Amino acid sequence: MGKTIDIIKTKRKVSDSVKENMKAFNKIKRQILKSLETEEKTVPQIAQEIDLPLDVVTYHLMTLQKYGNIEAGEVDDMDEFYFYKLKK
Amino acid sequence: MSKTEEYDVLVIGGGISGEEAALNLADQGYKVLIVEKDLSVGGKMIHLSKVFPTLDCSACITTPKVSETARHPNITIYTYSEVSNIDKKSEYDFRALLTKHPRYVIEDACTGCQLCEEACPVTVQDQYQYDLVGRKAVYVPFSIANPRVAAIDIENCSLCGACEKVCPADCIDFTQEEEEIQIKVKSVVIATGFKLFDPTLIPRYGFGVFKNVVTSMQMERQLVPTRPYNNVLRPKDGKVPDNIAYVLCAGSRDETVGNPICSQVCCMYSIKQAQLLMGALPMADVTIYYLHIRSFGKGFNEFYQQSKDMGVTFIKGKIGKIEETENGDLKLRYEDIESGVVKEANHDMAVLSVGILANDGVSSMFNNKLELDQYNFVEQKDILANPAQTNMSGVYVAGTASGPMDIPDSILSAGAASAETSGYLRGGYDEK
Repeated sequence: MGKTIDIIKTKRKVSDSVKENMKAFNKIKRQILKSLETEEKTVPQIAQEIDLPLDVVTYHLMTLQKYGNIEAGEVDDMDEFYFYKLKK
Repeated sequence: MSKTEEYDVLVIGGGISGEEAALNLADQGYKVLIVEKDLSVGGKMIHLSKVFPTLDCSACITTPKVSETARHPNITIYTYSEVSNIDKKSEYDFRALLTKHPRYVIEDACTGCQLCEEACPVTVQDQYQYDLVGRKAVYVPFSIANPRVAAIDIENCSLCGACEKVCPADCIDFTQEEEEIQIKVKSVVIATGFKLFDPTLIPRYGFGVFKNVVTSMQMERQLVPTRPYNNVLRPKDGKVPDNIAYVLCAGSRDETVGNPICSQVCCMYSIKQAQLLMGALPMADVTIYYLHIRSFGKGFNEFYQQSKDMGVTFIKGKIGKIEETENGDLKLRYEDIESGVVKEANHDMAVLSVGILANDGVSSMFNNKLELDQYNFVEQKDILANPAQTNMSGVYVAGTASGPMDIPDSILSAGAASAETSGYLRGGYDEK
């Protein structure tokens, strides 16, 4: 089968919200991955470093974990927060 | 002009009740069509962790039945499809319109390899993980989906074409369009299931505002092997919770939200989750705030007592309000019913045990000729003698489409529906 994407492009337009969401997710993804380049970190540590709300970091971090970009490491000394690291 | 297909029975809904009814009828030689609106059959049960009171693995019970249904020579399944305009011409002659929505993926060719997911640049909330994590715009719904094939969420697709480029099976097809099929059947089984109460309708509980207030389905997902996080964690900050509260009757037995009836399962699934949490988080405290514990089924009271023995705390109290304190912790203000005193308690996570409501649009499938009860569940005309009978002869109801019930009762109800359907098909129609 030939490429069908060109056919649907003549019929549909991508909404601005889809473009904005994609841009926002990929920006946060880059920030999180960059933050973890140096060392493994917890959610609050990442949130503080990249200055984003905790729940936004948790959501994106867990999504990156789901897609195999990062993995969970040990839990901290207080048994409260897991450390996350880049998946090699 | 759309094509016409003929079957003996149309089963609306591919959850546990629909599958049970379909299998019973197919085993008797009837040709059965299952129409499922979702991308996969399996209903809500396929997303649960364990079942009460046996703590058997829910997926281990569901998936063999799902596979058996999918492979049965007398059963045809249309997923991501809906029926409408169900019109009874005469006894044993129902006509309906089936609308098959496009997946933009050739089902027979897709191997479920998920290379398209890797390539997709769009991430949106994953409805199968109850929005706790993201999914791609092209996605296999969940790991044990049936059929385990991808679908494209066209509303959120960036039309970049990356999925089509990487697909090794060449099965991405953006030319697919909605397809309409005329259906002719002799009988109909309604197994449309239920929907969960939307807790944003009780703003004082703070769901959607306070991220550590979650629904019981979100906690259920955190307790399955295919969970969204690496452990049970708070959605706000990824902290391991150690003091979890359950708020029972969230949207049930509450006239103020339009649902005065008991949902029948919330007490027991909350007790089940409490036990599972104590296994997952051995150091955690779990407190269940309840009005009455309704442990009425076989082995239920023993299960309730077992949770007390394990250390679950039960407080007979009605939660008035939840507030967020520092660090995302929560302050629950409640009336202690035993003492009649208003008290406050601090927890670091709260689970709203949301109730069961009737699904929308069931009667409209029948052009509003199907009667519903006062709570919008399908009316059972003769609940004692013929519990599956609706107001229309030849149309039967199975499972939670007729009212809240647990999984064993749903399967029993589906058995009743298939038996009554079979009787009807064998000429047992009684005009009285």
